[in-house]
Amino acid sequence: MAEFTASVYQNEFLPDGGTDVHAIVTVDCSGAGAAGQSGSGDAGEIIIVDTSGSMGADGVRAAAYAAQTALDQILDGVWFAVISGNDRAQLAFPPSPEPVMVRMDQFTRQAAKDAVSRFYADGGTAMGTWLRLASRVFATVPSLSQKHAILLTDGENQHETPEVLTQTIEAVTGQFQCDCRGVGVAWQVDEVRRIATALLGTVDIIPAPDQLAAEFSQLIRNAMSRGVAQADLRVWAPQGAEVLFVRQVAPTVEDLTSRRTAVNPLTGSYPTGSWGDESRDYHVAIRLAAKAIGQEQLAARVQLVLGDDVVAQGLVKALWSADEALTTRISPEVAHYTGQTELAEAIQEGLAAKAAGDTATATTKLGRAVQLAAQTGNEEATTRLRKVVDIEDQDTGTVRLKRTVEKADEMALDTASTKTTRVKK
Amino acid sequence: MDVAMTSTTQTVCPNCGSPVSEADRYCEACGAELKPSAPSTPALDTDSEPTVEINATPVSPCQSCGGVIGADGYCETCGTKAAKPRDHFDEQPAPWVAGVCDRGIRHSRNEDAMALAADPEPGSRALLVVCDGVSSSLDSDVASLAAARAAREVLTAGHAQGIGTESSRSSAIAARLKAAADAANDAVLDNTSPDSPNPASCTFVATVLEDGLLVAGVVGDSRAYWFPDDPEDATGAVALTVDDSWAAELIATGIPRAEAESGPHAHAITRWLGKDAPDHTPRTTAVQVTGPGWIVVCSDGLWNYCSEAAPLADLVRQTAAEHGGEPLATASALVDWANTQGGQDNITVALARL
Repeated sequence: MAEFTASVYQNEFLPDGGTDVHAIVTVDCSGAGAAGQSGSGDAGEIIIVDTSGSMGADGVRAAAYAAQTALDQILDGVWFAVISGNDRAQLAFPPSPEPVMVRMDQFTRQAAKDAVSRFYADGGTAMGTWLRLASRVFATVPSLSQKHAILLTDGENQHETPEVLTQTIEAVTGQFQCDCRGVGVAWQVDEVRRIATALLGTVDIIPAPDQLAAEFSQLIRNAMSRGVAQADLRVWAPQGAEVLFVRQVAPTVEDLTSRRTAVNPLTGSYPTGSWGDESRDYHVAIRLAAKAIGQEQLAARVQLVLGDDVVAQGLVKALWSADEALTTRISPEVAHYTGQTELAEAIQEGLAAKAAGDTATATTKLGRAVQLAAQTGNEEATTRLRKVVDIEDQDTGTVRLKRTVEKADEMALDTASTKTTRVKK
Repeated sequence: MDVAMTSTTQTVCPNCGSPVSEADRYCEACGAELKPSAPSTPALDTDSEPTVEINATPVSPCQSCGGVIGADGYCETCGTKAAKPRDHFDEQPAPWVAGVCDRGIRHSRNEDAMALAADPEPGSRALLVVCDGVSSSLDSDVASLAAARAAREVLTAGHAQGIGTESSRSSAIAARLKAAADAANDAVLDNTSPDSPNPASCTFVATVLEDGLLVAGVVGDSRAYWFPDDPEDATGAVALTVDDSWAAELIATGIPRAEAESGPHAHAITRWLGKDAPDHTPRTTAVQVTGPGWIVVCSDGLWNYCSEAAPLADLVRQTAAEHGGEPLATASALVDWANTQGGQDNITVALARL
């Protein structure tokens, strides 16, 4: 049985007239077990592989091999299917004209591997059609409580307008989770990130096809280790208060604010997808009406909820004080993640400006990113930034854009921009 | 709760692991409340007598909005922290004797305490005890309440008459006040862990009224007053106690009260109850009361805002007049008044109407 704990890190002391309360809430999960084995429903897994013409024979062969490796990692008993996608989506396995899934066993695994081996490169790219088919396939198994897909693409979504993709993403949001991977450098990070973000998944670049198998295998292993099918973060704030934002800040930055659905007038629910044995940090900011010095009140109840069961709760408090020694103290956790969030924004905005030819903005933003990465001890980000800019002084954020940059390095910086480091204890 | 929180002496915050001092009530790094470690504080079990009813979990609706108080102790609608019974309580042992003990505004907990007793017949016999926990020490809120109640127990048990003369009666009552202070001091010690770096301590003031004789005893800077109604009364409005404080020592050397009490060490007391107390024998004063009037016993949370006896007498009389002379309503209104003046400290006002 999975166990959750919540810990709150904040400075609850507000100065006279202070209104804004910030807190980092760490939620830990242990004993999650394996996907589909918690007794609360079955798990489903769909592998979606780009088989457009641009993949080429070698690319498709690598993708097929990766899919086979992934099939090996899907646990017996888990419902699964394989979709091949180009400018339309086909159910590659099970072989059926209608959407359908089967349970994994030694026979279905071998049959699926055989089907995957017959992939060939042809046609264009319309990822929306792949997502719609995946949603329909998942819907054929009502017992599924946990639905996860991995999506591989290599190119731009050329055979579908951005509007259609947007509509599709909205239509399938909440239907299943999806981790997305782009192989090579011809795909658009922003486009694929939109899908992954909406579907509570991750996005990353796989520079070369021969790295596909290891990545797929790892993705499926991660999915299979998530024994908690679905959990929601609930945030209660007092009457008259305003929830400024709710963000996941570790392991990656995801702004959850707009994903709120009301539980009651004072409580919002934010989907967090499935959980394995892991730890996630959330940054919650609440604006209160100021109270008198010496008064204490609760600023937020932050809960993790399975169905309607509250399995962990953290209390965010506000205590107005005239003692400046207390009120001016900054929570190291809040400061750290505020910096990490700004780091992600600076990288993305800097790269966007660079792509648009705005060298001045790109230099400023990426310089700020270098500074923040140094301040918050995010060495991975510093390493990635070094491949895009020459750092003259990381303390002041003085950088020059490199004349020549490997496209893959730039994309890796972009996809990894939301990855955060934890506070050093 | 995790095991580390209860089984180790707290040298690190159980929440974030930052180093903390044993005297810290909250972690400096993460703000987590640092619960006293169990082995060193056996006497502080809040479920045990005599503090059980005052430390009980609140069940009443939110005082701020009327909402439901959640299991976490905060209102489910407005988030206001539910007042703990210890933060505000009153006693009225007889219709003519009442007191209110309140956290005030600026302090996070109520370290004042009060224990009252009275016979039903107005003006007959009343015992008023107020203790003010020293806020820089640990668990003074628990210690002060235990002290006040222990003193009351001693005072209610005896009814010494001496040989009947006024001086022998006042000596007998003074002896009981001394015994009451001893019991109160023992109660403070019982609520102090032997190795506490910051032992609990509190002030002590008690008045005993018996058969027209009023005797007050004090250790520290909580006060007792007698305010006769009759302006011609020879006793006038009198402070029955002189503070054991730095300010009082300055006043004794001729420095004006207002100046002395606003100085940097105005609130430093020179005597108190507790482990490190140099001497806790109460200094007593006796006065024969004849006509009607008010006995007022209070902590500095009230007198900080009105230190001279005469204006305080006016304040008490006027407040009483606005509340029909009812002691509980009057005490409550005086506490409210102190809160409107800023509520800088815990406030206790105990009254007997003669």
